Amino acid sequence: MDWPALRLSLVLAAATVALLLPPAVWLGRVLAYRRFPGRGLAEVLVALPLVLPPTVAGYALLLLFGTGSAFGRAAASVLGHPLAFSFEGLLLASVLVNVPFAVQPVQNSFAAVPRNVREAAAVSGMSPWRALLRVELPLAWPGIVVAAALTFAHTLGEFGVVLMVGGSIPGQTRTAAIALYDRVQAFDDRGAVLLAAVLLGVSLVALLLTNLLSRQVGRRTLHA
Amino acid sequence: MRDDAAAGDGLHVQLRSNGPVPLDLELRCAPGQVLALVGASGAGKTTALRCIAGLHRPGAGLVRCGGQTWLDTAAGIDLAPHRRAAGLVFQDYALFPHMTALANVIAGMGHLPRRERAKRACGLLSLVRLDGMEGRRPAELSGGQQQRVALARALARDPAVLLLDEPFSAVDRPTRRALQADLARLRRQLAIPVVLVTHDLDDTLLLADAVAVLDAGQVLQHGPPAEVARHPVSPRVAWLLGTEAPSPAPFPMQPQQTRQHARGRA
Amino acid sequence: MSLRRRSLLLAVPALLPGLAARAQGIGQDGPALVAAAADLQFVLEEIAARFRADTGLDVKLVFGSSGNLARQAEQGAPFQILMSADEGFVFRLAERGAARDRGALYAEGRIVVFAPLGSPLQVDERLDGLRAALDAGQVARFAIANPEHAPYGRAAEEALRSAGLWDRVQPRLVLGENIAQAMQFATTAGAQGGIVALSLARAPQTQGRGTFAVLPDTWHRPLLQRMALLRPAGAVAERFYAYMQAPAAREIMRRYGFVLPGEVQ
Repeated sequence: MDWPALRLSLVLAAATVALLLPPAVWLGRVLAYRRFPGRGLAEVLVALPLVLPPTVAGYALLLLFGTGSAFGRAAASVLGHPLAFSFEGLLLASVLVNVPFAVQPVQNSFAAVPRNVREAAAVSGMSPWRALLRVELPLAWPGIVVAAALTFAHTLGEFGVVLMVGGSIPGQTRTAAIALYDRVQAFDDRGAVLLAAVLLGVSLVALLLTNLLSRQVGRRTLHA
Repeated sequence: MRDDAAAGDGLHVQLRSNGPVPLDLELRCAPGQVLALVGASGAGKTTALRCIAGLHRPGAGLVRCGGQTWLDTAAGIDLAPHRRAAGLVFQDYALFPHMTALANVIAGMGHLPRRERAKRACGLLSLVRLDGMEGRRPAELSGGQQQRVALARALARDPAVLLLDEPFSAVDRPTRRALQADLARLRRQLAIPVVLVTHDLDDTLLLADAVAVLDAGQVLQHGPPAEVARHPVSPRVAWLLGTEAPSPAPFPMQPQQTRQHARGRA
Repeated sequence: MSLRRRSLLLAVPALLPGLAARAQGIGQDGPALVAAAADLQFVLEEIAARFRADTGLDVKLVFGSSGNLARQAEQGAPFQILMSADEGFVFRLAERGAARDRGALYAEGRIVVFAPLGSPLQVDERLDGLRAALDAGQVARFAIANPEHAPYGRAAEEALRSAGLWDRVQPRLVLGENIAQAMQFATTAGAQGGIVALSLARAPQTQGRGTFAVLPDTWHRPLLQRMALLRPAGAVAERFYAYMQAPAAREIMRRYGFVLPGEVQ
């Protein structure tokens, strides 16, 4: 059992959720409630990683992270080492690739809060901040949990982008999914099966949680 | 066109908008008075209420209430809804589904010190005859009860104007009678203007001190309900006042039918 | 950028590698990161274990196709040694300044034709069995490594061309991303056989999975396997580099079928 790889995957998934969730909650809410020019474009960009082939995303990120781009050079000077093939690069790639998984459930959840309930909050004298805390979040929190669960599970399973951007550096970028790939090539069936079982287990738990909470979102806002 | 003399503590509204719901009207309501807004669907009644509450911004307009200016497009003033002391009872109540009745009412008391809130909220629920229901969630309340919670919540913020959007349309007759009695009782106690949107002539006659008949965003006629009912300025007004269902097109009725209709109802 | 802001900016990413790499201690004084051609999959694990036992120092191994690994090294991957199955990749890195020097030859590789258990393919060093199987229409899939970036794949193609079988086999090919993956494909029931590295066929982990026969080294350009210390190399990497050329490591390499520099098969 490749414990370092599993631990790396868990750390990567947790860090991705921690970094991505707050801005995703903000963005999901903005997309749910505000009309502004360019909103359609914003939604398309948010959804893009869903349909983009992982290798395309991986290639684009490799170009971005490399020393050929200004961004890559700047990042390398701050970090002291290139962004590609490093944990930081992996984390950044993971955050970008998971945007739709984090934003869309939140957006749906906020949008499910009936408009007149939000208006009632404003008319009752609640400032936008108080309305968010006392009315919107208590009704929309299942969507936020779903976003966290999906992002976590998706990061654990991410393969194509991780392999291209991170390679398979043990302890730094060899995630559980890649370690599984390596175990298979090393004819280590036992190691491969163990990793596969763990990854499958986590995915199932995430899916179960998502399922339970998605039903809650509907139920909570139904009785207005 | 400004009229400072008539403003005082009451409500003074001027709204002009090109769409999607066209508006071109002026309304006044003194403290302690009930103004009924009557008209067909789409006439702009609900939109007018929403403009007063700050939920809708007209192309041009003026909303003054309780001595304060809430909206003045010419001067660039537009207070957000939570800064206007308007109490709005939504047509479908819009209670917070995750809160108890008591918590719903307390939600409107952000301006009071924490210690006083529960006590005052209980008092308001008592006022609307909901003693004992404080701990119930909206899902556990009947339509009439939910509406009374919504009313208590609207009153919770000590509003300068009370706005009611079709308060009786979704309940059955007996409940409606009870609610009308509640409102009649309450308006004597509240010294604020009350604007009531309805398409039912009964409510108008029973509760209102004045009625404004709206059609396509314009006030066709306003005055005491009995007078307007007896002397409609046009067949259209009579038709709008007497009808209980929305009209598909502004066809004027035959003069014969109009008189009979008005006589029957007045 | 003010000093305070810069240190704040550094603090954030500084936390992150701490989460992951700290335990591994990858760097100048920690375990050396060795990027190795996939044909070394098993032999290098054994040598690395010996190295740890003998010196108490640690190396971390990353396997892949030589071309892929060389590209990653060029792009800044933190490899300290590259052990390629083809000289050309090492020379390229040296020219670009990514390697310290032009490195050293550490072995010459050999290819074999392999047939998994239950396959109708008969293995022999002239590929007559393959020819017969092709005639009988028994070959649905034949696995080799990708000739574009895997040296063993290139050698397989050259051998097949030398035997006059390339055109017939080509539509049936399944390409492994590296020679280890090709070996994987060749041993699963999906493919009827393949051309793989001798070192992989000789490994204990693959024993009993099929039969193989060594192909003539005249059928392809020599698989001159070269290694070099790369720019990030530290003290541990240098020790391992030297260890690879010492008798203990050479003996292990010999057991896996490699021809060592200075020796004749």
